[in-house]
Amino acid sequence: MSSFELRVPASVDEAIAALRVEDAGTVAVLAGGTDLLLDLDDRRTAPSRVVSLRRLPWKTLDWVDGALTIGSTLPLRSLEEDPEVARRLPGLWEAVRNVGSVALRHRATLGGNLGRSAPASDLVPMLLALDAEVDLIGPAGARRLSVDEFVRASRRTALRPGELIRSVRVPESRPSAYLWQRVRPANDISQIAVAAAYSPSEHRWQLAAGGMPPRPVRLPEVERLLGTGVPSEPVLRAAADRASREVALTTDQRASEEYRRRLVGALLARAVRAVAPHAEGRA
Amino acid sequence: MTGAIRPDASVKLDGSAVYGVDVERPGMLWAALVPSPVARGRLRSIDLAPARALPGVIAVGPDDLAALLPGAGEPERPIFPREISYRNQPIAAVAAPTLREARRAASLVRVDVDPLPALIDIEEAFPEWPDEAAARSGHIIAHVLARHGDVEAAFRTADRVVEETYRTAGIQQVAMEPHACVASVTEDRWYVESSTQTPFGVREDTANLLGVPESSIVVDGTWVGGGFGGKGSSFLEPYALVLSKAAGRPVRLALEYAEEFRLGRSTLPSVIRLATAVRDGKIVGRRVRLLLDSGSSLPGRDFATGYSIGFLLGPYRTETFEVEGYGIRTNKPPFGPHRAPFAPQCAFAVESHLEEVARASGLDPDAFRAAHLWSDGDSTPMGQRVGPFGLSMAFERARAVAARWRAERAPGHGVGIGLGFWSTAVTAGGEVRLALTPTELRISQGEREIGSGSILSGLPSVAERAFGLPRERIRVEYSDTSRAPFDSGVYGSRTVSVLGQAVLAAAAGLRKVLAERLDATAPVELVVEGGEIVAVAGSRRRSVRALLLPSEAAEGILATGRHYAKPGTIDESRVVTGSFYPYSDFSGAAHVAEVSVDLETGAVRVERYAAFHDAGTVIDPANARASIEGGIAMGLGTALTEESIWSEDGRLENAHLLDYRIPTLGEVPPIDVTFLEGFAGGGPFGAKGLGEPPIVPVPATIAAAVRDASGAHVTELPISAERVARALKLL
Amino acid sequence: MSSARFEFRVNGRPTPVPELPDDERLLDTLRWRLGLKGTKEGCRTGDCGACTVLVDGRSTLSCLTLAREVEGTSVTTIEGAGTDADLAHIVSAFDRAGALQCGYCTPGFVMALTGLVKERGRSAPVAELLDGLQGNLCRCTGYASIARAVALARSEAP
Repeated sequence: MSSFELRVPASVDEAIAALRVEDAGTVAVLAGGTDLLLDLDDRRTAPSRVVSLRRLPWKTLDWVDGALTIGSTLPLRSLEEDPEVARRLPGLWEAVRNVGSVALRHRATLGGNLGRSAPASDLVPMLLALDAEVDLIGPAGARRLSVDEFVRASRRTALRPGELIRSVRVPESRPSAYLWQRVRPANDISQIAVAAAYSPSEHRWQLAAGGMPPRPVRLPEVERLLGTGVPSEPVLRAAADRASREVALTTDQRASEEYRRRLVGALLARAVRAVAPHAEGRA
Repeated sequence: MTGAIRPDASVKLDGSAVYGVDVERPGMLWAALVPSPVARGRLRSIDLAPARALPGVIAVGPDDLAALLPGAGEPERPIFPREISYRNQPIAAVAAPTLREARRAASLVRVDVDPLPALIDIEEAFPEWPDEAAARSGHIIAHVLARHGDVEAAFRTADRVVEETYRTAGIQQVAMEPHACVASVTEDRWYVESSTQTPFGVREDTANLLGVPESSIVVDGTWVGGGFGGKGSSFLEPYALVLSKAAGRPVRLALEYAEEFRLGRSTLPSVIRLATAVRDGKIVGRRVRLLLDSGSSLPGRDFATGYSIGFLLGPYRTETFEVEGYGIRTNKPPFGPHRAPFAPQCAFAVESHLEEVARASGLDPDAFRAAHLWSDGDSTPMGQRVGPFGLSMAFERARAVAARWRAERAPGHGVGIGLGFWSTAVTAGGEVRLALTPTELRISQGEREIGSGSILSGLPSVAERAFGLPRERIRVEYSDTSRAPFDSGVYGSRTVSVLGQAVLAAAAGLRKVLAERLDATAPVELVVEGGEIVAVAGSRRRSVRALLLPSEAAEGILATGRHYAKPGTIDESRVVTGSFYPYSDFSGAAHVAEVSVDLETGAVRVERYAAFHDAGTVIDPANARASIEGGIAMGLGTALTEESIWSEDGRLENAHLLDYRIPTLGEVPPIDVTFLEGFAGGGPFGAKGLGEPPIVPVPATIAAAVRDASGAHVTELPISAERVARALKLL
Repeated sequence: MSSARFEFRVNGRPTPVPELPDDERLLDTLRWRLGLKGTKEGCRTGDCGACTVLVDGRSTLSCLTLAREVEGTSVTTIEGAGTDADLAHIVSAFDRAGALQCGYCTPGFVMALTGLVKERGRSAPVAELLDGLQGNLCRCTGYASIARAVALARSEAP
């Protein structure tokens, strides 16, 4: 007497077909399940069918010409355990290893995290700062969007009915850092987070902040202020100050708006200082 | 497995220990509670028919109790109330073949309520100190007032008066195992298996609530996955019993974790106003005002206000004082006992305040405290004589460590000392039976091990000391309330003190019997020879087997021991109104913490910690140390991260472990524990209870260290990064 | 799907589960269908780690895992020390270090640590192992005796 029917398609075509529901019921996609099962318990969603992606060939991690393609159902722990990820994308590695706990990361996936699109997602700010892209596959074929285009608000993305996230592509390795402020050192949700990266090919900074609704955002004004290469301290301070005014902050149970304002500037400065020694091929 | 430190390691490490949540009985139904949709209101009607329409569903509501419980009458606190006092208060209960069906059935119950305005925030309700009119408003369920000396004159003639307000948050016990029980009611036997700290307490409560004679109720304790006060009285058992009675089958009722938070009865918020008058470096007057959120506690049933307020004067001498406390009734679950209920919050306020008083008076805070600290023979503010008390010595040791850490500290780091004291609930009595067989000494008693080791390791340690018999020959046996000797419960740090004394009393009886049978006058010892126990007294020696009477062949030689301590006395002439409580045992503790404070964000990290405990005599060193380590970790949560957050309409907003944060492994620093012995308590061989003392000084210690590190004087608990940032004027 | 035959290995033994609803959690299958109550139910929201088991040697929160998702895998629970040398070694260390009080979080900790040792090797530094245990909550011990058990187990690694 299950509340939903579970389908475990063996191929991508079967999966897309399984997402098509003729009747009025809803379908939910199951990757790691660490968000979906909570939503089921809260009765936030009551699908008649759940489609498991576990048999699809998307548990992959591939480096091609300096770009990294991560299969959407690869457990986060696998990403975290890869020494190349730690070396070439240190900010992403830092962000990944701070999601929940080890046991959670054995099941949680990048695709699931993007699909859930939580305002406090640890991965989205870093993916924004890495100019990452999502590859989608659906009944109308394949398409690619930037993560910035993909993520809209809490539980809202650019996914069309019947579409699945196939993989995430990070175009190049970048010195990067992910800093967060939260109550506990681990197993916690950020009050606010800052992701910083420097593009060696385009000689510019990418910065993103996350932690509050509607969604993590890039900070183009702050990036402009930082300019190219290592910023001087006065420039960095001005940029940090700008950041605290550029991000739309809110008060909630976890922190007040004023405190987040204070934090975002402090974290931004620290994140940039952490990356700076590696920008422009230094250190 | 060795079971060397924990005799229960084996069953807990092989998965065979059965906790309340694990109990399964044939034909068992699964229950769910029907929660009130409002924080305050009058129940107009409740329609259980839609639930009962589902196959196999039993439902019980207020209208069904008369038929099910003919002897019930009108209990003070009916299990299904018509006057709703807090959100999610159970107003009916259902049982079904599966949990899913039970939850579904509960959701179908139609509830019609007349909502009433709820009182949630005590400061909103009483922005000013309550006056006569407010006191009669019906929102006040306790009022305590005590005085000694001419306080007005002391304040008038002081060199310096410091007045401050402190605020503390509501916190929860957060035992890892949720509450759970299985009731199996037959014709004349109301039997319930429950995860509880007080099987006999549950029996008594349940008898009162259900109007069933105690002799018909049997409470059988399971292994307990943590209590900390939250499992210290009946809770789910009455509902499960009533459902089982209605269904004619066993019924399991367990809370899901969100319900643990929403229904939990624990420490609630407070506002504490402290004023201290100093003349010539001495405290000449103290004024204490406490506004304590009592939740939906009943008038006259509040223990917290009168008990806690003594801790707001701390272990310090003062020439004159006035203390006044109000328990405010709000629409939350009733205030319930946490570990050392409300004492950590009191110590936080007192210690932080005295540091402020010292600084304002140009005095060294440590010297100031030392100059006023109680010694043996002093009088507490309520006129009770202070018993053997090692806090001064513990403080001295703490100061030595603090000086060393301060000398070594890095920038942004600070070191602080916090002092605290606690009593032991020894006036709640208990009994044990000893049975000496040829191969073992059995301690029969009626408590389950809730985690501290006091039952399974502490009691055998007492017996081992008493007889010289090795531990492997000592076994603790548990039986349910129908067969076990009475005990008040595992709470209040009383277990080794009270039941340990009962063991000694029984041991004395056993010795007497053995001496008679040996026809000896020398003291009797027990030794093991050739695999059997031998009684030795001077030159007389015979095996227990040889000393047994025929009637003792099965059970062994029996002896009963009981311990019911007499309460201490306070000077009642100092009481103006309300109830104040004497202490038994004065257990002191001095803690030292080194913290680092991020001066840009206010984030606090605890780097290292040392604890000096006035333990009387340490009976069971490994488990005593474990209790201190665990209590300190819990205190770190109270100090830094734990805080219940209610909405205006009485909804608990952080009813889950993600947003109600207890310390994780990475947040607890190395802890150095030192016991100071020699200041005897009332427990066996001079022991003092150690379950609660370790949590008491922790928030005070952290506050002192934070202030030393950053200058931030935070007057609220928990000391969150944001509050530190505000105190540093970063916002 | 409910009628489809489901089988996996539990503690080394092939374990068919004749009737398994699609929406059932692995935690409930282990506890109520297979009678393996050693795996504990805590928060059921993935925050406490009490329900931790191993799936093909990897620590997994059984409260947030559909039973059907582990079809064909090898699941290890606290009851499996007889068939898993890493697990047995850690159980022994917890016993000798007295690393438990109420014991409710203990199976979760033991399984989480066993998973870490399998992933990182028996010689993984203690600091790394402790770092990996931050997803398990304990309210009784303050983690001190647990840290001692981790150090003890590590000190005995080949």
